[in-house]
Amino acid sequence: MKPLLQVKNLERGFYGVRVLNGVALEVMDGSITGLIGPNGAGKSTFFNCISGLYMPDKGSVNFAGRDITRASPQDRMESGLVRTFQLARGFPKLSVFQHLMLYGQNHPGESLVASLAGSKAGQKHEEKLAEEALSIARRLRLSHVIDNPVTALSGGQKKLVEIGRALMAKPRLVLLDEPMAGVNPTLTAEIADHLRSLNAEGVTICLIEHDMKLIGSLCDPVIVMAEGRKLTEGSFEAVVADERVQEAYLGGRH
Amino acid sequence: MTTVAQAILNGMMTGMLIAIPALGLTAIFAVLRYVNFAIGAYATVGAFAAWYVNTRLGLGVFPSAIVAFAAGGFVGLVAEQTALARLRPSGALAVAIASIAVNLILENLIRFIFGNDLQGFDLPIARDWRFAGLRLGPQQVQTAAIAIAIMAAVFLFLRFTRFGKAMRAVADNPDLGRLLGMDPSRIAMITVVLGAGLAGVGGVLLGLDTAIDPMTGSRLLLSIFAAAVLGGLGSIPGAVVGAVMIGIGEELAVLVLPATYRSAVGFATILLILSLRPAGILGERNI
Repeated sequence: MKPLLQVKNLERGFYGVRVLNGVALEVMDGSITGLIGPNGAGKSTFFNCISGLYMPDKGSVNFAGRDITRASPQDRMESGLVRTFQLARGFPKLSVFQHLMLYGQNHPGESLVASLAGSKAGQKHEEKLAEEALSIARRLRLSHVIDNPVTALSGGQKKLVEIGRALMAKPRLVLLDEPMAGVNPTLTAEIADHLRSLNAEGVTICLIEHDMKLIGSLCDPVIVMAEGRKLTEGSFEAVVADERVQEAYLGGRH
Repeated sequence: MTTVAQAILNGMMTGMLIAIPALGLTAIFAVLRYVNFAIGAYATVGAFAAWYVNTRLGLGVFPSAIVAFAAGGFVGLVAEQTALARLRPSGALAVAIASIAVNLILENLIRFIFGNDLQGFDLPIARDWRFAGLRLGPQQVQTAAIAIAIMAAVFLFLRFTRFGKAMRAVADNPDLGRLLGMDPSRIAMITVVLGAGLAGVGGVLLGLDTAIDPMTGSRLLLSIFAAAVLGGLGSIPGAVVGAVMIGIGEELAVLVLPATYRSAVGFATILLILSLRPAGILGERNI
């Protein structure tokens, strides 16, 4: 397997506090990589740097053979690196369907002239996107709520919309920030199945999660972060057995 | 009965004028998440710019209002770029306090350039219209019509233009907006120009109604802020509703209280809203 995402020596601080302290890791093409670590380990900041919401102070990010360290968030998304958020807020006034449509790629009707003239190409593209959105909604079993505003959905459904949004962008790598947080157990199993089938279709997944049972059943390899850097990496069993990992979670030896 | 009706009518008229800068304040809050108290000075800047082109160059009301928008927007942008934007990492409170400083600086610059005297616009004197015992000046009707046209333009802009949609999207969820290719700093800048420009137009409309001096905007600041808080900070329709309610409330209060207590309405409103319903009448978010 080749690495799809290569991160070298990533550093990022906020007001003198160094949150990322030289993170170096790789996400292999076709894997479901789990990212775990105690609170404050820098996992979410790491995702923010990879998706371009934060610029790293130092280090480099390479995606599919291209240096994207300074690329805009949109540029990264269009090249197939898509993320979801831990707090799946979305745009509160838009419906599920509208959210899915937002992430449709390469809309030709985006220029002012084309939108005023109502270009044929734009209309056709719109129809194609709508079809995709409907099929993704069907797949994620969101069809019955497709016209509801996202604020009216349950926590789990919001997470599904996030995943649906990511799928609309035709991703190669999806970064999922705690996809199971606040989701009931039945839906957790369902989301896990969605992720497996996505992965089987060739989408690489990297997820932050605190549900260890899920990490164990879904992810290989598992990367452990602590204090702003990678602590270790390996199979779930190996990582959990690692004394350093237990220390990081339990607060170290005194 | 007629006095009360007259007070309500006057209140609606002033309310519509307060609504314009209140829209500016609330738009800036929605996107940049801080309360810009310099809105008062931006209104004064707009009023004086319009007064200058009206009395010195003989421009009419509409072109003067456009000059006021441009002047307010320009000064707002300069203040944002030189001072306020730099403080954004220190938090909303730091920026809000700095905006009070900007307000003082601008107010005194205007005093330095134009002097401390009351200035009136060059307008034809017209007799008030009378209708069922109520009085209404033609000038009031014209400024109210301009105010309504501006509000309509702001609504249409936010609802139907790409930029307006991007502005609302960034206000709702800046991170998601960035992933979709919106540049938040560019949107912030254009929002500031729009907000400060609206304040400028508000200043000139209020000046047309009475007269202007370097304190014009600062005196109105409380009413503007109270209107935005009442409607729900960050809510565009809320700012309009809030402004009209504040306008009417102030006029009614003057019927029973000495005129010096007019501003008590603003304070009382802010106090009540913040303790009873902090999100405001039409606000959706808790602040």
